[in-house]
Amino acid sequence: MSKVLRLDKKRLDEFVAALFSRYRLFGPVDSGGLMRFAEVESAGALRLDIANPDESAKGIFFPQTETLLTGNQGEVVPTQEPDRPIAVIGIRPCDARGLLMLDKVFGTGEHNDPYWTRRYRNALIVTMGCSTPRAGCFCNWLGSGPFSTEGSDIALTDIGDAILLEPRSEKGMDFLKGIPCEEASAADLRKAADIKERAESSMAGKVDVSSLKSALDRAWDSPLWDELTGKCLSCAACAYLCPTCHCFDIQDEKASGTNQCRRIRIWDSCMAPLFTKEASGHNPRPTGKERLRQRVMHKFNYFVDVYGEMACVGCGRCIRSCPVNLDIREVLVRFINAG
Amino acid sequence: MKERMDSTRSHQEHKADDKRAERTETRNSWQPRILAFLCNWCSYAGADLAGVSRIQYPPNIRAVRVPCSGRVNPIFILKCLQNGFDGVLVSGCHPGDCHYISGNYVARRKFAVLKTVLEFMGLEPGRVQFSWVSAGEGEKFAQVVTRVTEDVKRLGPARKLVKAVRSSDTKD
Amino acid sequence: MANVEQLLRDKVEELLKEKKVSCVIGHARGSTAFRSTPVFARSEADTDGLIFDITCGNNLAQYLRRCDRAQGDRVGIVAKGCDGRAVVQYVAEGQVKREDVLIIGVPCEGVLDHRKVRDRVQDRDVSRCRVDGETVVFEGKDFEVSMDRSDVLSDSCKRCRYPNPPVYDVFITEPVEAAPEKCGRQELEKFEELGASERWAFFEKEFAKCIRCYACRNACPMCYCEECFVDQSDPQWFGKSTDLSDTMLFHIVRALHTAGRCVECGACERACPLGINLSLLNQRVEREVRERFGYTPGLVPDQIPAMAAYNEEDKQEFIL
Repeated sequence: MSKVLRLDKKRLDEFVAALFSRYRLFGPVDSGGLMRFAEVESAGALRLDIANPDESAKGIFFPQTETLLTGNQGEVVPTQEPDRPIAVIGIRPCDARGLLMLDKVFGTGEHNDPYWTRRYRNALIVTMGCSTPRAGCFCNWLGSGPFSTEGSDIALTDIGDAILLEPRSEKGMDFLKGIPCEEASAADLRKAADIKERAESSMAGKVDVSSLKSALDRAWDSPLWDELTGKCLSCAACAYLCPTCHCFDIQDEKASGTNQCRRIRIWDSCMAPLFTKEASGHNPRPTGKERLRQRVMHKFNYFVDVYGEMACVGCGRCIRSCPVNLDIREVLVRFINAG
Repeated sequence: MKERMDSTRSHQEHKADDKRAERTETRNSWQPRILAFLCNWCSYAGADLAGVSRIQYPPNIRAVRVPCSGRVNPIFILKCLQNGFDGVLVSGCHPGDCHYISGNYVARRKFAVLKTVLEFMGLEPGRVQFSWVSAGEGEKFAQVVTRVTEDVKRLGPARKLVKAVRSSDTKD
Repeated sequence: MANVEQLLRDKVEELLKEKKVSCVIGHARGSTAFRSTPVFARSEADTDGLIFDITCGNNLAQYLRRCDRAQGDRVGIVAKGCDGRAVVQYVAEGQVKREDVLIIGVPCEGVLDHRKVRDRVQDRDVSRCRVDGETVVFEGKDFEVSMDRSDVLSDSCKRCRYPNPPVYDVFITEPVEAAPEKCGRQELEKFEELGASERWAFFEKEFAKCIRCYACRNACPMCYCEECFVDQSDPQWFGKSTDLSDTMLFHIVRALHTAGRCVECGACERACPLGINLSLLNQRVEREVRERFGYTPGLVPDQIPAMAAYNEEDKQEFIL
């Protein structure tokens, strides 16, 4: 690809200012102790040091509550998107890869989702490589890594006194044309390679998941499901924080006493008992076991059938946030070993 | 307490008076909207008595008849606030007089806890109120409604917990 | 504490061997040294993984209601004070028969809030966690961090008045001394000094973070309705989006539904993936029920819950 550029750390604000001039900028922020992605008005609000905020970046392009249209007395008004496109800075490789996966679901095929595409297609994704992966991270199991550039338009690496910028797409290259900076030196690139190597080797042992899909193909009736899922609380913490989970519900709401109404799309989760409850009262997934089996099958088996890859980026949020510490890695390993 | 209207005036003349009063009021000030849950056996009957006795009281309440104050689920009261009512009144039988023996006793506990939670969170005390009004207490009913209306009027339109159905996305 | 663990394993092995119970619900090590995970021991081999230490924060009582068992089987549960209170409250509410549960009391001096630990070890992998008096030490590859217990303990544990299960069948070692003078309600008292609009602003800010995952509700031993009010669709009481009004109303109504039933275990706060201060409302309700109705849940198995009962002399100063 194109050459890697170098920007002194003290010029980072210039880079951010350039982003502000063309985009609505989103990045990791500390929101009263809660780390999440939010739109920022100034570079000072950005916390580029946060490796993986508690919430993933999917909410930028696929908001948890999104008004699709409003209505009043028969007049329907679809919601408009602001003219300025979105840029995200400081998003980690796992989250960027997650967005790519969501694009397969929402952005391709005959019926693509206009709410998603109008945001994501024009967006500039500026990723930050992970020099210190967190406990619970396992992106390396899934063909990715702390410095992966999948889904990135410009990949940043922090080498201490400077930031290296690697354009990974036309969009990225175009944007960097407007930023005067030097090419990275050989020493810079060696430094970056060192950091990358250290980060990758710091991650806990990689497991070969190539046999997982076929193991799951045979695992529908496995007694392992009972053993592994008994403690699941059936909440939606894992699904909502996951960068790739994308189930949703659509509801209509009306303001009391007026004719003003709106149609909203909201996140939903297969972990909730209500997800498959039928009008008769019958529920084909009556307990946590059936629901967790569904989630694992969807992400690691059915998604492979439909889209050719596992719907997991190894960010570890589900492991950290699960109230009962149900570790998806343990689930995968048990099924791989059971064969 | 407003004075009783002169019963020698005609029905049409009363109606014309009311209309004039209403126009004046809407021109001058905002009127609170208050939902009143009234138990069938006591408070609703008391309200009815106030009516047939021509006792005047502010027109700001909308009455919802329930079989017992114990029927009132705190969720109803909260929905009122969410939907834009400025105040809520729940009125039932005096302790010991409940038509269902103990409905109002159980209600009393629920309402105490509800009021505690709302006021602890910072919702204005005075928006959600409770009373015991018996079937024979037409005067008291009018007094209660007057008092609650004045309290709510002083507090202004309710804003906390009101759900607006806007076009913009709600989080962020 | 190592002594407690071995004694616990021995006791559970004995109970399973003698078929006194068909299953024991307990804790095992989680995916890192400062987390634990619920586990169901059904055979003697399963007892090796049982632990009990400062990491054992889950409230296990709720698994009693859905543990797989045959009619007449007895199920054991490793119970801290709060777990034990939840079991007692289940008996009071008719959810479980006293004779169907074997309560194994364990000495609890508080459990960790894993989010506080994560922050303080800067998200590094912790391979060992040990308690040294009032200090907790976390060790990992090339690092060791020591912290004051009070800095990493769950907030609910700092308020705990009932560290021992009020009712138990067997106790591993000895019940701990409750230290009521240490159990301040300072957070609540301090909060009440704020003005009404400040208090409202606080709740709006906290609940604006909520993503309606219901981890709090599902972790709570007292939230066991087959159909929760937020899941009702006929009628649908409240919206399911993250609209602030709908979200606040979910939390308000949940606090009302757990009035006089909350056993102050803190499972809700520990479960919240975003660290929202959930228990403040419950604390205020707990105090009201205790002061107004003289009732504390989870202490006496045959006492009728406060909100299902009444006293003709209940105070009614707030009623016109």
